[in-house]
Formats: sequence, structure tokens, C-alpha cells
Amino acid sequence: MRLHSLALRDFRGVKDRIVRFRALGTTVVVGDNEVGKSSLVEAFGLIFDLPDDSKSTRIRGIQPVGQDVGPEVTVELSLAGRELTYAKRWLKNRSTELSIVEPDGRRQSWTGREAHNEAERLFHENVDPVLWQTLMVSQGQSLVLPTPADAEPLITAVTAESGTPVDGASMPLVTAVEHEFQRYWTPRGKPTGDFARSAKAVSAAELAAAQALQAMEEVQSDIRRAERLNLDLADVAGRLAEHLTGVEELRERKQATDEILLRRDSVRSRAETARARLENHTRTRLERERLLDEVQRFTKTEAELAARRADAELVAKTAAEMVQAAEATLAEVVELKDLRRTDVQIAERRVSDLMDRAELDRLVGQQTELVDVRARIAAAGTILDRIKVDDALVAALEEARAAVVEARAALAAGVPEVSVRRLGAEPVELSGTGLEGNVPSELGFDESTEVLVSGELVVGVPGQVEVTVRAGGDAAALRSRVDDAVRREKDLLKKAGVKDVAAARELLRKADTASAELNEARRTEKSLTAGGDPGERIAVLTARLGADEETEDAGKETAVEGVPGQMSLFEEFASPHDTLFDDFDVPEPEPDDLSGAQRVLEEARSGLADAERLLTDAEFAAAQARKAADEDRSEAQNARARSELAGERLAAAVEALESARSVLDDEAVAVAETEATAEVEAVLEELTAVQEQADEAGADQVAGELTHALAVATRLQGERDNLRDALRTTEGRLEQSGRDGLATRRDVAELELAAVRTEHDSLLRRAEAARRVHETLSRHRAEAQTKYSEPLQSRIEALGRSVYGPSFRVWLDDDLAVAERELDGVRLPVEALSTGAQEQLAIITRLAISHLVSTGEGSVPVIFDDALGWSDKARLRDMGALLGRAGDHGQVIILTCMPDRYEYVPKATFIKLDG
Amino acid sequence: MDESITFLHSSDWQLGMMRRFLGPDGQARWGQARLDAVARIGEVAERTGAAFVVVTGDVFEHNQVERQTILRACEALKRIPVPVVLLPGNHDALEPGSLWTSSQWLAHAPEHVTVLTETTPFQIVPGVELVGAPWRSRRPLSDPAAPGYADLTADPKTTRILLAHGQLTSLSGGMSDVPTIDQAALEAAVADGRLQYVGLGDRHSTTRVTDRIWFSGTQEVTSPEEDAPGNVLKVTIGSGGIDVEPIRVGAWHMVDHRVDLFDEESITALEDWFAELPDKERTYVRLAGDGSLSLPLLARLDTIIDAQGEVFASVERWVKFWTVRPAPDAADLESLQLSGPARAAMEELRQALAGGDEGAGAALSLMHRLARDAG
Repeated sequence: MRLHSLALRDFRGVKDRIVRFRALGTTVVVGDNEVGKSSLVEAFGLIFDLPDDSKSTRIRGIQPVGQDVGPEVTVELSLAGRELTYAKRWLKNRSTELSIVEPDGRRQSWTGREAHNEAERLFHENVDPVLWQTLMVSQGQSLVLPTPADAEPLITAVTAESGTPVDGASMPLVTAVEHEFQRYWTPRGKPTGDFARSAKAVSAAELAAAQALQAMEEVQSDIRRAERLNLDLADVAGRLAEHLTGVEELRERKQATDEILLRRDSVRSRAETARARLENHTRTRLERERLLDEVQRFTKTEAELAARRADAELVAKTAAEMVQAAEATLAEVVELKDLRRTDVQIAERRVSDLMDRAELDRLVGQQTELVDVRARIAAAGTILDRIKVDDALVAALEEARAAVVEARAALAAGVPEVSVRRLGAEPVELSGTGLEGNVPSELGFDESTEVLVSGELVVGVPGQVEVTVRAGGDAAALRSRVDDAVRREKDLLKKAGVKDVAAARELLRKADTASAELNEARRTEKSLTAGGDPGERIAVLTARLGADEETEDAGKETAVEGVPGQMSLFEEFASPHDTLFDDFDVPEPEPDDLSGAQRVLEEARSGLADAERLLTDAEFAAAQARKAADEDRSEAQNARARSELAGERLAAAVEALESARSVLDDEAVAVAETEATAEVEAVLEELTAVQEQADEAGADQVAGELTHALAVATRLQGERDNLRDALRTTEGRLEQSGRDGLATRRDVAELELAAVRTEHDSLLRRAEAARRVHETLSRHRAEAQTKYSEPLQSRIEALGRSVYGPSFRVWLDDDLAVAERELDGVRLPVEALSTGAQEQLAIITRLAISHLVSTGEGSVPVIFDDALGWSDKARLRDMGALLGRAGDHGQVIILTCMPDRYEYVPKATFIKLDG
Repeated sequence: MDESITFLHSSDWQLGMMRRFLGPDGQARWGQARLDAVARIGEVAERTGAAFVVVTGDVFEHNQVERQTILRACEALKRIPVPVVLLPGNHDALEPGSLWTSSQWLAHAPEHVTVLTETTPFQIVPGVELVGAPWRSRRPLSDPAAPGYADLTADPKTTRILLAHGQLTSLSGGMSDVPTIDQAALEAAVADGRLQYVGLGDRHSTTRVTDRIWFSGTQEVTSPEEDAPGNVLKVTIGSGGIDVEPIRVGAWHMVDHRVDLFDEESITALEDWFAELPDKERTYVRLAGDGSLSLPLLARLDTIIDAQGEVFASVERWVKFWTVRPAPDAADLESLQLSGPARAAMEELRQALAGGDEGAGAALSLMHRLARDAG
């Protein structure tokens, strides 16, 4: 198919336009956005798709907005050797016209629906829809890689070129095989549909059958169990009956032997009585022997314990005396310690007094110094109160002084200076205002003066002349400035109470001196009063010392009174305990100095420590003595108690012996025992004879055997009852299983299983066959695909190498789409390529397809609506060359708003669309 | 034995039996047919003036059949107008949990029906005693018939009929896994006048052992292997001797058929064979086949068998004896006009089949069908 021209009228925004294309070669249609480039492609599609009476929204969409007009399209093209002119108008004044010039020059025309149908038929018969869609790249689709496997013209071309028959005629079979495969299998080869369901049904039926079979096996098991139980029951019942017969025989034997046993029991009873009597007499004899032995033993014991008691009491007495001695020593030491403590207290009080006196002396001196310091503070305060000058005032005075000097200097420079000298005898009088300097009112002879005139100066010689000099200009202001400065200085001097600045400075120096004195005196005062007012402490100390002296005096009196008593007591203790009082001296007189008093205190404390050590030792010795005495006393008490107890027991034993003898004397006891022994021996002889009779009759065994036989009978009856119970239970289950129809259930389940298995086996055979066919056919198709993809692959590589160089290679997939690209030895899937490279590869592939089909009748134009938007300048040059070469073999139409992308397309025809 | 006595002998009703090859519909109809045959025994009894009916074992398929089977059996028994004596066999042995002692049976059993649970002679009509040897376990330890007649002595005034169940030693071929019935001992008992007739069960085909020893066979066929099923025996014993007549009461057929399939003619012959069979809806056919067929003929065979399966109660290939193989020839492939990969694929499958690949045959048949339908 070749597209020659396309005319649009009242189509979207296009009022009236016709575009003519080169039948062979590249046409580039250039236009700005919205100018209607894409409408050309759209119009071509609509004229073949929709009749003129179509109500499709696609037709409504192409009517110009707000215009009641009919969109119209006219296309001229070559198709299968025919030349077609096909025009159609929709909506308003609908019409369709088709005129065809046959290859033999014959002309035909159709109108209306016939025209549409004929055009549609021709188009569909001669244009492969897959190829058409593959080679027409709509706006925004330039990146999409074509998948042209089902394009018949392409298949025809590659078949012709590769020599491999492409099984186009077998496509229905391929579809049928695929469909058959999918009936049974998923794409991943898992069972699906009825096949999968039948497999599940088989599993479910197998489970149900297994459960039903198991239930029946349990029934069979119960039947076997019941049979066994029946057999066992019969066996046990037989054995029980037989055993009960034996029991009856034993009972009869037992009745016969019971008489012998009764007699034996009687003799046994008498033997027991005789034996008891003998035991009684034996016990009496033994008791008598025991009493005799006890009296003898207790007599000996009582004597031994009395001797031990005497020894213990002696020891306890000695220990008590030792305790008394130790406690006496302890009392003495306690008293000694009290004396030592009194000495320490006296020495401590003396040291305290001496320290108070020293402190009192220091405080008195401190108070004297404090009085002096406070007088100095008062004097300095008086001086400072009188002086009114301070640093700021002196600074202000110095500033005022400088202002006066500066004002006067300015005045001297700014006003006339008049020199007046009296030359003659006539008096010269001077007067005026604003005069500066020492201006006499009258000049003496040859006296002269110089006057600065800031106001006016009147020089007169009375009666002769009077000269008035007036200052002009700024004299008045200068004068005023001088006056202000002088006035300020005077005010400050008055405030300071001085006559000039020097006096003020002198006063300031004095004030500083007084202030320093004051500060120093206050520091001293603060230092002296840091520990509180000395006077208060002097009063406290004085009062305390006075009281101490009184107390001391009183103590001295008391001590004097007590000394004789103490001394006599001391002597009493010291005499028997010289070692204790060796370091105990008579107290020395109290020293008057502190160091002496402190030495006495240390000695007293040392004496106290010694006394306390003595006390500890004495307490320990007394405690030890007490403990030893307690133990000895306890031992003596125990010995006394044991001795008394032995005496009591001896008395009791003697009494018991006497009491027993009063009943039966010792000889009678011996005789009674001998007689009892003889009786026992006689009865035992009789018992032996009876026992021999019983043994001969087997009397004892019969009873045992009967007891055992009864036990066995009970066990067998229990066993029989258990078997009966078990049989009843089993038969109950079997009755229930019969009611449940378990065998029928099993048969039904097996029937169902067989049915679903049959169905599944059938499906399995079909599924396996479908898979085998699918696999075999797919494999052969893949092999063929590989062969017939080679022509397209080689075309793409040939075109691509003109752009990318000789290392360019591609691989195609089953759909003949490019799957991978290799460049400079690097092989990548197309998805991994850059956007620009993908678009270029898509264009190259389409041009290759176009090239392949160009010689056949099914060729169609290659149309690019806006492409190459991602290529750089160098690539645009190469791709342009490629597009140009593509035009050598077929019709290439490019729609773009960027004509510079295609400036490298050789021999291209550019058509500019205006808005 | 001044007068003759006529009774009917049947066995192996095996009510509740199922046949997996029949499918649900066939199974239901066949199960009903087995009950209908019992009812027809009643009609025969009425028609022949039989004094009673004996059933020598396996009345039920199991002791644990469903309640519906028992109740329907009772209904069928009610349609027999004369006394009926049933003998427990190996399928419904008088074992623990036996159907015969169940409340379901005892509550619904018709009054004219007697179950022989003992070996004590039972006078069914004056001058006629039945002696039975009921199975008390599925695994008897000795000749299952012997307890029925071991202690008997000949009584000229009494006609004795032994009811027993089991295989005869002479017919089992030594393959039985349970003790068999001593045929010689039976014949001796008959010969010395202790027994006048021995009615046996367990063998489903009507079988004459001697003039007075018979297997009645099942009342309705249960397997294609059975020679003469579907009969009831009319037995007449008189002073002049004995007369035993099989009378058909069954309505179904189970048939094995072997075919050799090589060409269109053999296919046509099979079609004719199917066409000539009577009672198709009550007939099960088990086909054994051998041979090889071209793909079109194989497809035709499949179609025929599928269609007959709808007409007959059931038609199935006997897997064990079905060796019909596809044999595609060049003409099969050419007729499809395949080319390219499809032709290569079919050729590969054909060669695989020739090499003995069974799976390739099915695949080839499928591909042939798909190609034919797609073309």
C-alpha cells in the first residue's frame, strides 16, 4: 500500500488541508503542536473503520467545536495494483464515494454504504492489520518495540528468504493444541480444570474409601474378637464346672477330719493353760531373784554415793570462801577508782579556771584597744563631715578654671586692646564698660595702661578731650562667655567653700587621708569584735571566776573536812593491799600556772586508768571465783541428791522383798515352778499324739486345699464374667455396625472411588497426550522460529551497524521482538537500555520489517508520529541517514513539530503545515 | 415317600452386592433386578406348586449391609407365597454380629421365612426334613457341610434335604482357601439313603454335580465369568426318582467379548456384534481387544465404544486384555496437509510410536484429531 494524499476538511481544528506524500521515499510533515499532524493519522483510520452514518463518539470528537459542519476526509492511495480515491463525510451531508482504477485501466465507482464496504474489504484483504499496526507509530508510542510475529506479510517474507516453511497454515492446529493443553494444564504445568478436580475427587474418594475400609476392618476385628471370646468363654466355663466338682469333694473330706481337729484344739487349749501357769511360776521365781539382787546392789551403791557426797560438800565450802575473798578485793578497787576519778575532776576544774583567767586578761587588753580605735573612727568621721569637696567637684572646678582661661584668651584675641599713657599733667580718666584688665580710673604721670575693650572705653582729659572706644563685632559675645565662665567658677568655689582650685585640692587630699584612717580603724574594730563584744565575755568570765573561787573555797573547806575520813579509809585498805596502792600518792597542792595544772590533770587521768584496769582484773577474778563456787556447789547438791535417792531405792527394794516373802517364801516359789513344769510336759505329750492322728488324716491340708479351691473358683467365675462382659460389649458394637450398614458404606465408597478413578485415568491419559503434543509441537515451532527469525535479525543488525558500528548485534524472541542487544561485547536486555537507545532500536526494527516486506504485495508505509525525541546530535545524523535509506525501498512518513531532528534525512520531502 | 414333593432351590442372592464397572445408574438398576429375580422365584413357586423354597447361603452380600437392603429383601421375600428357608453362608455367616441375629432382621423378617441356625433336622412339611449346615464363621475349620448330616441315619419314611454352602473339593481345583465339601462323603450319604437331595450354594453358575447334588447358581448374574447364572432349580422328589429343572428368573447379561481389530471390516464386525445383542440396557460388556488401527479407525473405534457405553448398561475395555494400538500411516498424515513444525512434530510422534513408545500413540491420536478438526 502506498499513500498518495490525504485531504481534511472541517476535521477538528483543520478547516481545509491536503497533504501529498512521496510514493517512494521519505516525507516529513512539519507543523507546530495542535496544527493537526496527528489528525492525518486519525483520519486515515476513521475513513476505513466507520461508515458515514456512524454514531460513534469518535466521529463526534472530530467535529470542530461549535460548528455545525460535517468532517470530511479524502484519501488517495495505491492498493494491490489499484489506484483508489476514497472520500467520506460524516454528520452533515453525509456521503461516501470510492473510485478505483484497476491495473488494467478500468474504472469503478461506488457510493454510500457500498463504497464503504468495498473499501473496507479491499483494505482488510490487502493490508495485514498486525503489520499495519506495527509500522504505524502513534504519538508517544515510539519507545514500544514491535512484536510482529503474527504479521503475515512478514512471515511470508522471512519464509521466502530463509527457506524455512513457517507454519502459517498450521496456526489453527497450534491454537487447538494450546487450547487442548490448557484444558488440563496451567502454563506452569500444574493440573487444572476438570483434570485437577478429578485428582482432588480421587483423593477425597480414596480417603472416604480408606475410612470405610478401616471401619469394616474394625468390624472384622470385632468378629474375630467375639469368636475368640466365645471360645475362651466356653473354655473357662468348662474349667469352672470341673473345678466346682473338686470343691465339693474337698468339702466332704473336710467334714470327716473336723472331729480330730476339734479334739486337737481342746488339748491345745489345755496345753496353753498349763504353759501359762508354768510361765506364771517362772515369772514369780525370777521376780524373787530380781528383788534379792536389787537389795544387794542398792546397798553397795548407797555406800559409794554417801562417800562422794562428803567430798563434794568440802570442795564447795572452800570455793565459797574464795568467792568472799575475791569480792572483798573488788570492793576495795572500786573505791580506789572513785578516788582517782575525784582527782581528775579537781585537776580538770583547776585547768579550766586558769584558762578562763588567761582569757580574761586577753579580753581586757582587747577592750582597751577597742576604745582607742573607736575614738579614731569618731575623729576621722568629724573631718570627713566638714569637708564638702570630692573628686567630682574638684574636677568641675578645674574644668571651670580652664573655661575662664579659654574665654579670656578668646576675648583678648577678639576685642581691641587700647594702650593709654599719660604724657602730660592733665589727668587722664578712664571709664567704661566691658573692660578687661587692671583699669585705673585715672592715670598718673607717665603711667600707662593697656585695656581690652569689650564694651566701651572712655578716655577723657577733663575739659579737654574725651575719647570713647567701642568694641564691635563679637566682642559682646566673647565678653558674655568670659562672664559665664567666671560666674560658674565662682559658684563652684562657693559650693566647695574654698577660694580657689588649689585649696580645693588640698581639702580633697585631707579627706582621702581621713577616709583611709576611718577604714583602717573600722577594720581593726571589726577584728576586735569578731568573737563578740569583749565586754560581754569579760562580764561572763568575771562572773564565772568569781563563782569558781567561791566554790573552790567551799570545796577546800569540804575537802579539809573530809580528808581525815578519806585518809583513814585509804589506810585501812592500803595496809592489806600494798601492791594496789603503790602508785597512789598524796595529792600535791594545786599549781597556779596553767601548764602545771595540765600536768597534774594528766597524772590524775593516768591514775584513773590504772585504777580502772585494776577494777577489770578484780571483776574478772571475782566472776571466775563465783563460777567455780557455783559449779562446786551444784556438784555437792547432785551428790547429795544421788545419795538420798540411793537410800530411798534401797529402802523400797528391801520393803518389796519383805512384802513378797510375806506372801510366799523363797522355797515355796521353787516348788511351785517344778510342779507346773511337770504338768506342761504331760499335756504336750497328749497333744503330740492327737496331732499324729490329724496328720494321718491330712486334716490340715484339706482345709487349705478347700480354701485354695474356693479362691480358684472365684477367680474362674470372675474370668468368666469378664469374658461375658467383653463379649456383650463386642456384640453390641457389631449390632451397631450392622445397623450402620458399614459394609454397604465400604462398597459404596469403593464404587465411588472406582468411578472417579476411571474418570481420572481417562483424563490423565488425555492430559498426558495433550502435554506430549504440546511439548513436541512447541519444540518444533521454537526450532523453526529460530530459523525464520534470522532474516529479520540480519536486517536489524545491518541497519543497526550503520548507526552503532560493526559490534552491534541483536537476539529475537518467539514473537520476533528484539529481546537483547549487544554492543562492544556488552549484551543487555532491551529493558536495560537507555530511553534513546530503545527508541532507536524500535525505529531500526520497524525499518527492517518494512525493508523485508517492501517487495511483497502486503507492504505498508512506515509512519512515525513524533519520534527521535531522545537522541543526541550524532545519533540524529546517523538515524537520519537510516531513514533516508529506508525511503529507497518504501514509503516513509514522518510527522513532527521538530523538523531539525530530521534535517539529516537525505532526499526527504518536507511539507510545512500552517495553523 | 409315597408322594412326590416339589420345591425350589436357589442360592447366592447376595443382596447388597455392588459392581464397580456398572456405574451409579447401572448399579441401581442391577440391584433392583436382583430383588426382582427373587420376586420371580415367588412367581415360579406359585406356578410350579412348589411346597417351599430353600436358599442355600449368601442371601446377603454382608452381615453389615444397610438397613434399606434388609427391608427390601424382606419385601421381596413376602412375594414368595410358600415357606422359605434360608441358610447362612460365608457372606452372611452366623458369626458374632450376624445379620440373622440382629434386631433389624428379627423385627422385619416375614413369618414364613425360617433361618437355619442349627443342624437339627427341621420338618418343613410332613415327611420332609431339612437339615442345614449353617456357616458359623467365615473361616470354618472343616467340611462346612458335614455337621448337617454327620449323625443322620437313613429313614425310609422321610425325605431329607441337606442345605449346605461351600465349594466342592472336586470343583475347587485345590484353590480354595477355606475347607471344602467332601463330594464323596455327600454321594455316600445320598447313596445310603440318608439324604435324598443336596442343595448347595456358593457357586454362581447352575451346576449339576450328580442327579441329587446341585448348585442352583445365583438368581441374577454377577460376573461375566459365570456360565449359567440367573436360574432357580425346580426340584421334584418322588418315589420314582428326582427331577431337577433350571428355570430362568434373571434378566441381566454380563458378557466378555474378544475382538481382533486391524481394519475397517473388523470395526464394522464389532458394530454388528453390538447391534445384535439383546437387552442392551441390562447388559454389561467387557471387551478384550488386540490389533492395530490407523488413526482414523482408532478414532472411529473410540466413538463406537463411547456410544455403546451410553446404550448398554456398561461397556468397558478389559484393561488386562486390551492391546489395540494406533498405527498411523503416511496417508493419515498427508490427508491432514500439515507442514512445517506441525508436520515435523507429528512425524516425531509417529516414529516414537513405532519405537514402542505407548504414550506417543495417544499423543498422535490426539494430534490427529485436533488437526483434523482444525483443518
